[in-house]
Amino acid sequence: MGNTFAKLDENENAFKGRSTSVGSGTMRPNNIAERRRGVSMGLSNNVRSRANSTGSQLMYKKKSTRERDLIKESFAKQLVVRYDESVDGGYLAPHGCYTFEKLDYDPSLVRSLITARKLAPFYIPLQDFDESWTRDELIKIVDGLPLHAAVNENPEEFEDIPIGNLKRQNFDELIDKSLSKKEQRKQRSKIFKARLHRKRIMWQEQENVAFLEQKLESKREPNPSKRNLALPSPDLNHTIYKKGIECPICFLYYPEPLNYSRCCLQPICTECFVQIKRGDPHFPHEEVDPTKPVTSDDEKDPNLLISEPASCAYCATPNFGITYQPPTNRKTGIGGMPPGSYKAPRDDEINVNDGSDSEEGPRTPSKSPEDPEVVTSDMIRPDWKAKLDKERLRLARRSANATAIHVSNQLVDPDHPSRRDSNTDSGPTPTTARSQRLVPNPMAELENQMVEQAIRLSLVDEEERKSSQRHR
Amino acid sequence: MASLPKRIIKETERLASDPVPGISAEPHEDNLRYFAVTIEGPEESPYENGVFELELYLPDDYPMEAPKVRFLTRIYHPNIDRLGRICLDVLKNNWSPALQIRTVLLSIQALLASPNPNDPLANDVAEEWIKNEELAISKAKEWTKLYAGKR
Ligand SMILES: [Zn+2]
Ligand SMILES: [Zn+2]
Repeated sequence: MGNTFAKLDENENAFKGRSTSVGSGTMRPNNIAERRRGVSMGLSNNVRSRANSTGSQLMYKKKSTRERDLIKESFAKQLVVRYDESVDGGYLAPHGCYTFEKLDYDPSLVRSLITARKLAPFYIPLQDFDESWTRDELIKIVDGLPLHAAVNENPEEFEDIPIGNLKRQNFDELIDKSLSKKEQRKQRSKIFKARLHRKRIMWQEQENVAFLEQKLESKREPNPSKRNLALPSPDLNHTIYKKGIECPICFLYYPEPLNYSRCCLQPICTECFVQIKRGDPHFPHEEVDPTKPVTSDDEKDPNLLISEPASCAYCATPNFGITYQPPTNRKTGIGGMPPGSYKAPRDDEINVNDGSDSEEGPRTPSKSPEDPEVVTSDMIRPDWKAKLDKERLRLARRSANATAIHVSNQLVDPDHPSRRDSNTDSGPTPTTARSQRLVPNPMAELENQMVEQAIRLSLVDEEERKSSQRHR
Repeated sequence: MASLPKRIIKETERLASDPVPGISAEPHEDNLRYFAVTIEGPEESPYENGVFELELYLPDDYPMEAPKVRFLTRIYHPNIDRLGRICLDVLKNNWSPALQIRTVLLSIQALLASPNPNDPLANDVAEEWIKNEELAISKAKEWTKLYAGKR
């Protein structure tokens, strides 16, 4: 199916191969108007074409560690739920059903899609819903919900890792200088991750506290016009939560409308949708022929490596995508009226409206992944192509290394055919192509390959580090 | 220790309140992600009248990652190896987060009803199954009596 969960190490990849939009995402406009402008600018970029083109352009461009750290921080900042960034009663960042480390989609793309109302916002879920709740009970319960779920403050992964003073960007003093350069780099990366985890908790907590304080203040303020209008009105909370739906994947209760799978029209909350993604690159599954020896992955042509788009969680149709019909009974927050000013239509108006209301589920028949209304899993992770290329490159280097060892053996042996026969014209298989290249200047080629070997070894080392982290 | 996701709590409750015939799954007291499972051998299969014990574990990434399931009771089956590991697509490439503990256990029950020696995990068993199905089935019945007798 190819639906795998975000892996920690892939966070890192997610920041490569991205274009210039990264920096702009960190800015937090001070008022709604400015924010709206920011949003429309984001959209003029056309989410779809960006998704298709950002691919691998920048993937090999080497960024400094500091640059990479800043990009990672700016991504993380866009994943903070902010009470004053809302759309139709939901928010622009996940509530936290899945852990921080599992959020590896492109947050600026997802935020644009939500404000454009092409993707349901991230609502605060209810753990349970009871139809017998009165209006007042429901409002009280919703009012007591936290902006973000509790976060594990000390995941095992970061245990015993010093984080130093978070206010200072530089943490070089935490790195043990007696270690080898490579070990220092490893240590640095661990410390950075632990610090970032801490910072994210801090950023979110500040926002949670602000949300709570504003709510308390609003309750004390007798004059409704002086209350903070970024907070949802009781009417808004009642309207959105009174009729909700359980997401079939996380089993949490969300306001309608949710997203619906493009193929089989099943509901899915945005928090679960952003978890579904391509599997890791792999070689195509071959029919095993017992008469032939099994080709190890190292011997295969790296260009044959494939990665398949995620399939629908419900019906397994390839290239998972959703459609979203924004609600007709409210337009609040970014691109709409202040959430605090929302007043529910009177009962008689609701009855008139009921027949045409979209909130009974999707109105549209299934759609192709190319349909402009569809948001696919690939669209919110435009780096999938870069990841595939990177993996191909890694394998190519690995097999180049194998050849280097082979070549050094050849150089020692003066009778080796490749040293005598310089015009071998055999098939176009990668191995023979490589040995042909050797002939004009074997020493130079060998040197190249030695360099490649060094690169490969550091790559392998990095892989090992990541996998040991993952399995710990 | 992170709190248990709502999904796991609700699945556990629903398994208890609306059990699947022939299947039981109960979470371990100390670890609510670890389930003791029993599956009754399907009627008219070589496993009929057997009760098979399995263990099921929900990894941290569940439901984005498949549950881990293993037979504890020995069983003679081309898709289940000596260690109790199961060759079943929904536990591997065809896992979907929309599947549940319930659906996984039903799939395993269905695998008992229709062994698939062409996609083997236990190669020796599969070979015997293809060569002499009758013999293999009688061996499966024998093992069922021997190891999976109702207590
Ligand atoms: Zn969900
Ligand atoms: Zn579908």
